[in-house]
Amino acid sequence: MQNGKTLGEPLLEAREISLSFGGVKALRGVSLAIRRHEILAIIGPNGAGKTSMLNVVNGFYHPQQGTITFKGETRRAMRPHQAAAQGIARTFQNVALFKGMTTLDNIMTGRLLRMKRGLLWQALYWGPAEREELAHREAVEKIIDFLEIQAIRKIPVGRLPYGLQKRVELGRALAMEPELLLLDEPMAGMNVEEKEDMCRFILDVNDEFGTTIALIEHDMGVVMDISDRVAVLDYGRKIADGPPDAVRADQAVIDAYLGVSHG
Amino acid sequence: MLYREAGQFKTSYAADQAIFTIPQDRAAFWILLALGFIAIPLVASEYVLLTIMIPFLVFALAAIGLNILTGYAGQLSLGTGGFMAVGAFTAYKLTTALPGLDIVFVFLLSGLVAAAVGIVFGLPSLRIKGFYLAVATLAAQFFLIWLFNKLPWFSNYSPSGVIGAPPRAALGLVTVTGAEASPVAKYLFTLAFVAILALAAKNLVRGRFGRSWMAIRDMDIAAEIIGIRPLNAKLSAFAVSSFYVGIAGALWAFIYTGGVEALAFDIDRSFQILFMIIIGGLGSILGSFLGAAFITLLPILLDRGGEALGLPVPVNVLTNLEDMIFGGLIILFLIAEPRGLARLWQIGKEKLRLWPFPH
Repeated sequence: MQNGKTLGEPLLEAREISLSFGGVKALRGVSLAIRRHEILAIIGPNGAGKTSMLNVVNGFYHPQQGTITFKGETRRAMRPHQAAAQGIARTFQNVALFKGMTTLDNIMTGRLLRMKRGLLWQALYWGPAEREELAHREAVEKIIDFLEIQAIRKIPVGRLPYGLQKRVELGRALAMEPELLLLDEPMAGMNVEEKEDMCRFILDVNDEFGTTIALIEHDMGVVMDISDRVAVLDYGRKIADGPPDAVRADQAVIDAYLGVSHG
Repeated sequence: MLYREAGQFKTSYAADQAIFTIPQDRAAFWILLALGFIAIPLVASEYVLLTIMIPFLVFALAAIGLNILTGYAGQLSLGTGGFMAVGAFTAYKLTTALPGLDIVFVFLLSGLVAAAVGIVFGLPSLRIKGFYLAVATLAAQFFLIWLFNKLPWFSNYSPSGVIGAPPRAALGLVTVTGAEASPVAKYLFTLAFVAILALAAKNLVRGRFGRSWMAIRDMDIAAEIIGIRPLNAKLSAFAVSSFYVGIAGALWAFIYTGGVEALAFDIDRSFQILFMIIIGGLGSILGSFLGAAFITLLPILLDRGGEALGLPVPVNVLTNLEDMIFGGLIILFLIAEPRGLARLWQIGKEKLRLWPFPH
């Protein structure tokens, strides 16, 4: 394996997933495994079903057919908040932050599932409630340090530039301490330096926290550099799956990207 | 040390999470509290206490309640009056059925009943949003007022439908309701109630609950992926909001007016409180107070202003003129600063960070 990393057992296994919206078949019998500690890149031309696949894993879409096994538990469908409780976090293609809240509050929302004190304690903000809040603040500050966004802590995210918003969104996902992190085009619309920063963060997250990562990305340079494995979707089908070099040489993948005459 | 955020360093997260992070703000807060609890009762006339301070405080409490729901959780509600009525009538039924129950507990229980009613009428929010939800809450408003008007049981079969506050003591110490209660006692009781509940609201909105409400407000899809259950977040907002609004209704009926009929809580009341939070600032506890002050004080100031100028206009024209100026000011205000007085305050603070340097 790349980087000499040993990849573990499958953390998540999707089997024969089929999803359609009316007559449009977004996914047709896709099977995909995500192994512990790996960085899996999902690539494919526009409309190939990449985001649909993430949405199925995340519980946004409920597939008509197929099952998903996560941490040994098999399911057909669940709600996004249940996926979150099981340890799946994600970011969106177009940033989905809470625009009216500060960077700090946005990342603090990632800790909500871990905060347990009830309404009365919260209203008093005293004793256990205060200790809980401060403990989580400390955890969040570690993420803020890690992502190097100390300076924008108290700024409402609606006022931040796009690249920083993407970083805050990653921070919010990290605050959940997920086992599986889904990133939908984390580098879309970024310049080269921002992309380099983001790549570094993704690799560090994978390396330091051991988080399993599945990401969708269009920048092939980035994909080939950082991923351990690449899965290629085209017209809702998986056409290739393997190490980056093998996928790059795959004839079906070349055909999908460059087009081929079906004559 | 200047009054500004820059250059005031904190050495612990606790200090950074405090409500007032600027020492001058803290000082101003304690001075204001001392003014409210000590100076005003000593110097203010009965008129000021009963017709300005008490309604201002009650309105502020109702505005906090609506602000939690609309400003923080983003659920537009036009049912505020209805929920106030629930609080008022519950307090009346409770205190007449159980005369021994202390009025503090009566008010708190009325808030809880209002919260339960709020949850029921909040259920549509799980399916509908925005203006459609506003219409659903409008249904709550009309239904509740109709109910209290139609069923004489709620007003203990009083022929006029008016509920009169019987004399009751707070914590067994001093009578705060009924005709014999002194204005100072009424005022201090209301102030204490509102101050404690406002602090609790501030604590809620800066903690876990506030964050989940704001998350639902700003982007409900993203809120769901970080594990917030829309059901819990929306219904808790309705419950807490109605709790505050219900207590405000009970205070209105028992302390401010002393006797009230259901129509005092009609749709006009709902709009009045909505205006307060829009003018004061959506999503701000301070804004709730500023908005309540603006709406209660402005008509009085206009009235006094007219008198002071000695305008030779007939009284009925003057009343209409006041309404026109009032409406004009509100429109002007919304154009100039749609995010309210609290936002103006915040802009001022941000300017002060760098002042007197331009960059």
